[in-house]
Amino acid sequence: MRFTSFSIAAAALMALAACAPPGQSQSSESNATGPIKIANVNAQSGQLSSLGQWEHKGVKLAIDEANKAGGVNGRQIQLDLFDSQGDPTIGTNVARKISSEGYVAMLGTAESAVTLAMAPILKDAKIPNITSGQSPKLAELKSPFLFLNAPTSVTFDETLAKYLVDDKGLKNIALISNNGAYGAGEHDAFLASLKSRNVTPSADEVVTPDQKDFNANLAKIREQDPEVLFIGAEEVQSGLIAKQARELGLKAVFAGGAPLGTDVYATTAGLENAEGTVVSSPYLSNDASEEIKAFAAKYKAAYNEDARMHVAKAYDGASILIEALKQTNGEGGQKLADAIRGVKRAGLLGNYNYDANGVGIHETKIGLVKDGKVVPETAS
Amino acid sequence: MQVFLQTLIGGVTFGAVYALVAMGFSIVYRTMGLVNFAHGSVVMIGAYAASTFYMASKLPFAVAIIVAIAVTALIGLVIERFLRPLENKDFTLMLIGTIGFGAVLEAGAVLVWGATGHAVPSPVATGPIDVAGIRIPTYSLMVIAVAAAATGLLALFLQRTKRGAAMQAVAMDHQAATAVGIHVGRSNAMAFAIGAGLAALAGSLIGPMLYVNPTMGGTLGIKGFAAAMLGGFGSMPGAIVGGLVFGLLDSFAAGNFQEYSELVTFLVFAVIVMVRPTGIFGEATVNRA
Repeated sequence: MRFTSFSIAAAALMALAACAPPGQSQSSESNATGPIKIANVNAQSGQLSSLGQWEHKGVKLAIDEANKAGGVNGRQIQLDLFDSQGDPTIGTNVARKISSEGYVAMLGTAESAVTLAMAPILKDAKIPNITSGQSPKLAELKSPFLFLNAPTSVTFDETLAKYLVDDKGLKNIALISNNGAYGAGEHDAFLASLKSRNVTPSADEVVTPDQKDFNANLAKIREQDPEVLFIGAEEVQSGLIAKQARELGLKAVFAGGAPLGTDVYATTAGLENAEGTVVSSPYLSNDASEEIKAFAAKYKAAYNEDARMHVAKAYDGASILIEALKQTNGEGGQKLADAIRGVKRAGLLGNYNYDANGVGIHETKIGLVKDGKVVPETAS
Repeated sequence: MQVFLQTLIGGVTFGAVYALVAMGFSIVYRTMGLVNFAHGSVVMIGAYAASTFYMASKLPFAVAIIVAIAVTALIGLVIERFLRPLENKDFTLMLIGTIGFGAVLEAGAVLVWGATGHAVPSPVATGPIDVAGIRIPTYSLMVIAVAAAATGLLALFLQRTKRGAAMQAVAMDHQAATAVGIHVGRSNAMAFAIGAGLAALAGSLIGPMLYVNPTMGGTLGIKGFAAAMLGGFGSMPGAIVGGLVFGLLDSFAAGNFQEYSELVTFLVFAVIVMVRPTGIFGEATVNRA
C-alpha cells in the first residue's frame, strides 16, 4: 500500500510541476482548424471500472456517429480516454492535464466524488464538464461549467416518496442505507422528502459500505413490521439487504433508486426476493420507448452487450455536447457552457432543460421489478 | 431478545467463514512463519471457481467445491514453488512476493471473468427454519456444518497422520525437522496447498451468501487475517475461536453502532491485541519471524 501512495504522490508532484500555471490561455485559440479535442475521464481500472467502461462505450458511440455524419461543421471530434481509477486524487491530476492540453470539454466521470474534486480546476480553466454523477452536492457547487446528464438523488427520491406516500398511502416506512457518498445522499434526500409529507420513518438503520451481514439491522427493522423498506445502497449491497430481509421474513415492499433496477440487484437478491421492488429511475428498461429500443439495438450491434442506464446517460451527455459544439462552431470556454445550457433535447433519460445549477432532468419514472426486469408502473 | 438471537445467527454464520479464512492464514504461518498476503485473493479465486463450475456445468454444489479446492490448491503449490528459492534467505521479499501474487490473481480474475462479477443462486432450495420468530437460513446451517467438518478433518490430519506430524515438526523447528529427514520444502508446499484449499472452501461457501467479484477478497482477507491474529496467529484452535469472535463482534457492532460499526470492531480488536499481543491461544513455538 505504501508503495502505491508513494507513486501517487510522486505522480501528483510531477503533474504539478509540469503544468504549474494551468495553460488556459492557449487552450481555446490554439487549434481552430484541427480536430476538436474532447476528454473522456472515467475509471478504466480498479473496483469501479465496469461503470467507467460502460460510460466510455456510450460516449464513444455518440462521438463515432457524429464523426461519421461529418463531425462538427466539417471538423472531426478527437475523443481521448483518461483513466481516473475512480480516485479523486488521480482525477485532479487528470483535470490539470486536460486543462493544459487544449481540450475544449470533458465527459465523465461516473463517480460524484471524482467529479467534485475535478470541478474547481475545470471551472478555473473554463472547460465545460458533463458528468454522470448524481450527488446533490454537484448541483450545490453551482459551477457554470458543470452539467449533469442525469437527475440528482433529490429528484429520484422525491418521485419515490410521492408515489409511495401520496399515491399508495403507505406511511410505515423503514430506511436502511450505507454511509458512503451515494448511500448518504439517498438517505438525506429520501428523509427530506418524507419529512415534507409529515412522515417519520419507523426505523432508520445506517450500515457501512463494506458490510455484508445485516441480520442485526434487519431484525430491528422487523420489529416495526414496516410496509416499505427504503434501500439506499449500491447494486450488490442492495441485493444482499433484500435477500437477507426476506430470509428474516420481512414482508415490506423494497423501494429505492436506480441501483434497484439493475440485473445485479435482482440476481444478488434472488429473482423471487426482488419481485415487486419499486424503482425510481429516469431509465427503466431497454424497451421503455421506441427511441430507447432503437438505441439499445444500436448499442448491442456495436458492442454485443445489453445497454443500460449508465450507457444511455453517457450517450445523452455526449449528444448534448456535440449539439452545443455545432452551435459554437467548435469553440470552447464560456461560449460552449452557454450553448450547453441552451440545448433542449428529448434524450433517452428524458427531456433535458438545464437550470442554473447544471441539472438537466427534473423528473424520474416509477417502475416495478418483475422477473428481474423493470416494467414501468402505469397506474400513476 | 429476538434481535439478539437473530444477530447471533448472522454473526456465527459469517464467523464460520472467517474461521476458515483464518485457518488458511494460520497453517501457512505456523509452517513457514510467513503471512500469505495473497490469501484473500485465493479466497476470491475459490469463490469464482466454485460458482463458475456450479453455474456453468450444472455440477452439484459439493462437487463444484471439491473442484475449486483442487484448482486453488494447485495455485497454492505454484505460489510456494515461486517463493521457495527465497526461503530462509530473504523474508521481506517473500512477503512482498505474496502481495504481488495477490495482485496477479486479482488482475487474472478480471481478465478471465470480467470486472463486473456475478451472483450465485443458493444451492439449498428450502426456506429458512423458523424457531419462535428467529429465522435460521438453511444455507447458514450448511455453512456452519461444512466449516466444522473441515476443521475436524484438518485436526485429524495434523495430529494423526505422518505427514501432518511432519508439518507440526517443521512448524516447531525447521532445522531440527530437516535433521530428522523431513523435507521442509515439501512440507511448506503442503501447507500452502492446504491453506489455499481452505481459502477455496471459504470462498465457495460464501459465494451464494454474497456477490462474487474480483475485489471481494480484500475485506474477507483483512477480516480473516484479523481473526487469525485475535485467536493467536499460527494456532488452529485460535483461528476458529478468532473467526467466531470476529464474526460476532462484527454483527453486534453493526446492530448497536450503525455506521461506526467497523470503527468499533477494529477498535475492540486493537485493544484485545494490545492486552494480549499473542492472541487468545498464542503459541511461542511458531514465532519464527
